[in-house]
Amino acid sequence: MSNMEDSIKTIVEQVLKEIAVTEVVKTSTGEAVKDISAKGLTVIDSADVIDLSTIDLQTQLLVPNPKNKDLYMDMKKSTAARIGVWRAGPRPLTETLLRFRADHAVAQDSVMGEISEEDAAKYKMVYVKSPCRDKDEYLTRPELGRVLDEESLKKIEKECEKKPQVQIVVADGLSSKAMEANLPDLYPAMLQGLQSMGIKIGTPIMAKYARVGLMDSIGEAIKPDVCINLIGERPGLGTAESMSAYIVYNPRAGVIESERTVISNIHKGGTPAVEAGAAIATLIKKILDAKASGVNLKI
Amino acid sequence: MSKESILTSVGIDIGTTTTKLVISYLTLSNVMPGSRIPRIEISNKSLFYASDVRFTPFIDRETIDEVAVRKMISEEYEKAGISPEKIDTGAIIITGESAKKENAEKLVHALAEFSGDFVVATAGPELESIIAGKGSGAEEISRKERCICANVDIGGGTTNIAYYDNGVCIGNACLEVGGRLIEIDLLSHKAKYLAKASRMISEILPCSMILSFSPEAQKQGIEKILAQMVKSVDEVLFSESPSDITRALTVNNDLPKVLPQKIVFSGGVSKYIYQKSINDWWIHGDVGPLLAEAYKNGRAYHTFEVAPGAETIHATVMGAGIHTVNVSGSTVTVKKDCLPIRNIPVVIPEIKNGHYDWIDPSKRFLDSLHNCVALGIPVQDKLDFQSVDELTEMIARQLPQIPSSPKVVVMEQDVAKVIGQGIRKRLGDIDLVCIDGIRAFSGDYIDIGKALSYAEALPVVVKTLIFNGGASF
Repeated sequence: MSNMEDSIKTIVEQVLKEIAVTEVVKTSTGEAVKDISAKGLTVIDSADVIDLSTIDLQTQLLVPNPKNKDLYMDMKKSTAARIGVWRAGPRPLTETLLRFRADHAVAQDSVMGEISEEDAAKYKMVYVKSPCRDKDEYLTRPELGRVLDEESLKKIEKECEKKPQVQIVVADGLSSKAMEANLPDLYPAMLQGLQSMGIKIGTPIMAKYARVGLMDSIGEAIKPDVCINLIGERPGLGTAESMSAYIVYNPRAGVIESERTVISNIHKGGTPAVEAGAAIATLIKKILDAKASGVNLKI
Repeated sequence: MSKESILTSVGIDIGTTTTKLVISYLTLSNVMPGSRIPRIEISNKSLFYASDVRFTPFIDRETIDEVAVRKMISEEYEKAGISPEKIDTGAIIITGESAKKENAEKLVHALAEFSGDFVVATAGPELESIIAGKGSGAEEISRKERCICANVDIGGGTTNIAYYDNGVCIGNACLEVGGRLIEIDLLSHKAKYLAKASRMISEILPCSMILSFSPEAQKQGIEKILAQMVKSVDEVLFSESPSDITRALTVNNDLPKVLPQKIVFSGGVSKYIYQKSINDWWIHGDVGPLLAEAYKNGRAYHTFEVAPGAETIHATVMGAGIHTVNVSGSTVTVKKDCLPIRNIPVVIPEIKNGHYDWIDPSKRFLDSLHNCVALGIPVQDKLDFQSVDELTEMIARQLPQIPSSPKVVVMEQDVAKVIGQGIRKRLGDIDLVCIDGIRAFSGDYIDIGKALSYAEALPVVVKTLIFNGGASF
């Protein structure tokens, strides 16, 4: 009997000891790590971990000992798809999985990013917004993103030139990053193109919490011949910086979707922003000449 | 919006021995989804008509019979049921020994005008090598398998070699080695004519009295001559220092010092390389089948992997008819009445104090005969608006000082529209052709056709003549 008690005692003692050790480590992690570093091991600080999303996937080949590396790299260069990522058994490598999640996070960040009055001021644009109170409402109530709030309507009435040939609208849409990435190159190229063709531009507008249809409300208020909405596209895993240009002749309330001409995929891996700006200028000229946009425009 | 258009393309190859013509359809279509800026590519190539292989008519050994060639072409057009006005593009090439005939250059230009609106006239061994390699499929093999593939096009008068590395021609060579450098009488099977190259070899070997030999001894002599010819080709293929004979046979050689992994044979003679041997050596009245035999005994045939080609005798004409046309980018700045333009030399800028200078290098090309040059824009690292604008400023400042009409600017990167608009903003509505999607090198000549009906893209032909020596952009 006592023999058994003894052995139980030892077991309990051991368990208690182990618990104590774990707690010591838990409470003094900092010190413990310092001790290790003092012995010559490096501390892994968060700043030293590479940001996976900065690696250019199209130049990264994870296949060990490929038979024809050059050919593989050529294939990777031709597509943004995640090929040549290798595997761990039937599953992706940790790095591939983390990268996938990192790209997803970038896309989410881009949707949640906010534009501000300062952004509008930088481009000398009039800053307006839809009646959405925040991003959540913007995302859950699409119809609210298509109209202007009271204050913005008054602002447009006061500050914007009426009935210009072209009204430019820049909108956050579903990617604020698209604006940040493309506008600095696209906007001056587009202005240069329009000017070289002698087209008159109204007071440019930047809109927050805006969807494509907001251009109809703005059109109703300003009555330009043509309205162009440069808007951030829904981000994907390939890029979070893609921008679209929607162009409508005679913008007004009740424009049907088929009346919109669109140029999409303006980003580094698609149509480069500078050339897109120039192409949009030519397209606007065509729309002005044809007095039609969307499917009515025969090109 | 029409998404497709079809170009009718003609290829005409006037060779040492034979003349061929093919007519094909090139389907151009937008490969981008509807919401994107179009990109026009040649999506399909189909052969519509191939003429018979006909003998090239000569007045004497030095002069091609112009009237007969012209008649031959119009007969073929008639047989195909197509008139020259219906031809949108294509190339006419005068190859091999024929290119050296006295009236070759004049003839090829006259025929180009006669054969259709935008038919390119070309002559010279460099282009022939490249075009044959495209027609034979060597270019495609090198691109698909990412290897170095050699094309050896063996015609009546010359053997044209081109090396392709991943779809890019990296060098070519031409030797006077051909199936018709010795002619044989069809009835008596006796050699009746030795061209200069074969005569030269026969004197060195020596078997200069070959014409007076018995047919049996003659065949042995011929085989010796042909073996020597192939030996010379091998020396060139293996980048070995050339013997005196090889040097004498070489028309041009700028092959790089690399060995190909694969080799494709094309040209009339190549048929007998891929085929089992035949019974009648003299079937064509020349030594073509025997030359093929000599190639089969050569080193190249046994060292490199011999790949089957897409075409043999038709390689050059198919290359000329189908593979010469490219399509520019779809966002360009072009004043319409300026086109088409032909034979425009591409000028690569010199760099002076960190700036590009096109003015001085242009002077080399502009003379009483040429009044147009294309300014080549080197590939830029940065494509932000400011960098592009600075580049545009540089071009716009120099354009008025270059007496070219129209002003032509070409580049590879997709920025021709923004640069063109920037030039117009500065210089007004000048005669300007500013296009992208074109990879050209110093020494290249380009032809630019009229815009397609439904897009801004233009058909462009780049005639590359220089390889390793040429500065790229």
